[in-house]
Amino acid sequence: MEQSRMPELGRFAEPALLILVSLSGGPKHGYAIMGDVEAGTGRPMGPGTLYAALARLEERGLVEALPPVDRRRPYRLTGLGSTVLADQLRDLAAFAALGLRRLEGATG
Amino acid sequence: MRPAASVLVRVYPARWRARYGEEFLGVLEERPLGPFDVVDVLLGALDAHLHLRGLGAASEHRKGFTMTLRLGGYAAIAGGFLFFIGLAAASALGDAGGVFILMFAAGAAALLVALAGLSAFQARRYPKLVWAAFVLPAIGAVVTIIGVLGIVLVGDGRFVGQWSAWYVWSFGLMALIIGSAMFAIATFLTHSLSRPAAIVLVVSSVALVPVGMGLDILSFIPDTFAPIAMGICALAFSLGWIALGVSAVRLDNPGRIAQQGAN
Repeated sequence: MEQSRMPELGRFAEPALLILVSLSGGPKHGYAIMGDVEAGTGRPMGPGTLYAALARLEERGLVEALPPVDRRRPYRLTGLGSTVLADQLRDLAAFAALGLRRLEGATG
Repeated sequence: MRPAASVLVRVYPARWRARYGEEFLGVLEERPLGPFDVVDVLLGALDAHLHLRGLGAASEHRKGFTMTLRLGGYAAIAGGFLFFIGLAAASALGDAGGVFILMFAAGAAALLVALAGLSAFQARRYPKLVWAAFVLPAIGAVVTIIGVLGIVLVGDGRFVGQWSAWYVWSFGLMALIIGSAMFAIATFLTHSLSRPAAIVLVVSSVALVPVGMGLDILSFIPDTFAPIAMGICALAFSLGWIALGVSAVRLDNPGRIAQQGAN
């Protein structure tokens, strides 16, 4: 299923994943995404990084913009974005499980 | 509106601002900007410039590419027309055809522009072949123009060393005609422009060469018809160029160019 793989986003791969996770809880505008990411990871995401990653995600069809409310424009996951995010999280979960098993084997 | 936020947004490219500028400014104004934010925004702006540069460059490339095709096409049409009218009228009128020999020179100049434009178009796919075929006719066109200027300035007298301007003109014309055949063969091989037009240009050029060099190959034709046969060859040569120009101009629309680019 080649189409559902996370596209190459270079140094914006991690911010893009954080944005996708944030939007998986429902549509959000830029400032709300920044707050959500900081609350979830404990690390701030700068506005320049946010919009660089957001532009790439929109360009690749993983998120889409909704009509603006005042100056705030909400974004939401597309169907493709949901699929890509789910695959990516499963891969990460499998990788994390592998690491934990190895750690347990080494210390046990 | 906070001036600092407004200034930071202006660091981004105009195309980016048109899409994200308003909401981005809103985000910047939601909270006080710290040094981390400023650096992050500047790096984001640099990324936006780099990210958009490829698209912009492609667009500029397309524009330049379309321009060479259009310029080459119209120059070929003008060159073919001026070449024939100038040559025919100057030959028919003799010494009284001074204006027409200048028209002939203008035709050679237009063909030089056509050669450059159409070669640039075709060289995208076959650069060595096309530019090799460009050299001789381009030199021929330049020498032809110099020869015409010499005829106007010194008439039958010496122009370059022992050579008269007529000799220089003849030499240039031969190079232009032989080179046109080479250019047409390259055009035929690249499949970029009209192949029937390229065939007409090759055949007419090959027919014109011995005539232009003064070889007595028309001896089997009655004297009355010899000028007509030569005129037909010259007309076919001009029509070959005009047809190539028309095919270039007809190709000059986005859909057909995209198709050519994809080949």
